Amino acid sequence: MAKPFHELRERLLRHVRRYLTELSDHLADLRTEEERAGRSRADAESAAFVRLGGIDDLAKAMIEQRQFRSWSVRAPWAVFGLTPLLLLAGAWFVALLILWSGWQIFLPGADTPFGAGRVSGFANLYFQAGKAIYFGAPLFVGWGIGLIAVRQRLKALWPMVGLVLIAWMGGTSQVQASRTAVLGGVGHIRMRFAMETSVQGLPDGLMHALVILSLTVLPYLIWRLQKARSLSV
Amino acid sequence: MSMPARETNPNFMNGVPELLILRLLQQEEMYGYEIVQAIRSRTGVVVTVGEGVVYPVLHGLEQDGALTSRRKTVNGRSRVYYTVTPAGARRLADLSQTWTNLAAAIQMMLTGGQHGEAIP
Repeated sequence: MAKPFHELRERLLRHVRRYLTELSDHLADLRTEEERAGRSRADAESAAFVRLGGIDDLAKAMIEQRQFRSWSVRAPWAVFGLTPLLLLAGAWFVALLILWSGWQIFLPGADTPFGAGRVSGFANLYFQAGKAIYFGAPLFVGWGIGLIAVRQRLKALWPMVGLVLIAWMGGTSQVQASRTAVLGGVGHIRMRFAMETSVQGLPDGLMHALVILSLTVLPYLIWRLQKARSLSV
Repeated sequence: MSMPARETNPNFMNGVPELLILRLLQQEEMYGYEIVQAIRSRTGVVVTVGEGVVYPVLHGLEQDGALTSRRKTVNGRSRVYYTVTPAGARRLADLSQTWTNLAAAIQMMLTGGQHGEAIP
């Protein structure tokens, strides 16, 4: 068992062990009661099982308990709406921190950290890492939404809401940087979400959002299809 | 020898096992088997459920803080005994009130009486 899930496994097993122990004790009591009523050992055993309930009923009763329901079912708005937004915000914070620190270290005199060809070697790799996190975050978060939804066989509504939200955020986000915006010249980076009209007619932000949406929805639909097929076999 | 009683229609059982369990445990601490037998005998075998189904209900109530449990060895066997907490007692009072109102409303409906007060 992978280490990150060890605690989860132990916690679930604690519930299961206790449930099974109590069921075993209950079965033994029922068997004794049936034997006292005059049944043979074999008859008492089968009567006790009937009274205890079928395996399906016992499993269903346990699974339906609120503490065994996943957060995706209990609070889909949090799992597919709030959490992806927080993850995206966290990833963008890291990306902008890389941009700002790279600006301070490698381009101390420049008015903006943007502009290709001004840095090379390690400095270029440093900026590219930040860029990869910035542009990759919506895709990774979107794929995460898809994987969770498929794994837990959830209806498509909330995952799709999450994917559209992430695509919209990713498509319309813009980063602006200026050395002179704040006193002291330490540099100022800010983000905004806007649709800029392009000469082709469609806003750039919308195009970018549609690309992100396609790249996240398509894998989700494929995984969904694969899961449905594997379950039907 | 008696055949196991037919299970009560589950659609009418929402919240009933919880209510009965809290009521029984308010009087004395019990373990699962005792609870089920007490429900059977005190309801005249009108209310019966798959007996193993009582445990998820007990665990859920404990998780919600309505019950506490402790292990006790009786006649050489280790049992998990359940007791109602103050929060469980409040929950029982709420459930009892709701159920009493509901039962009265249904009774009134069946006997053709007037409209009663709204069920909270």
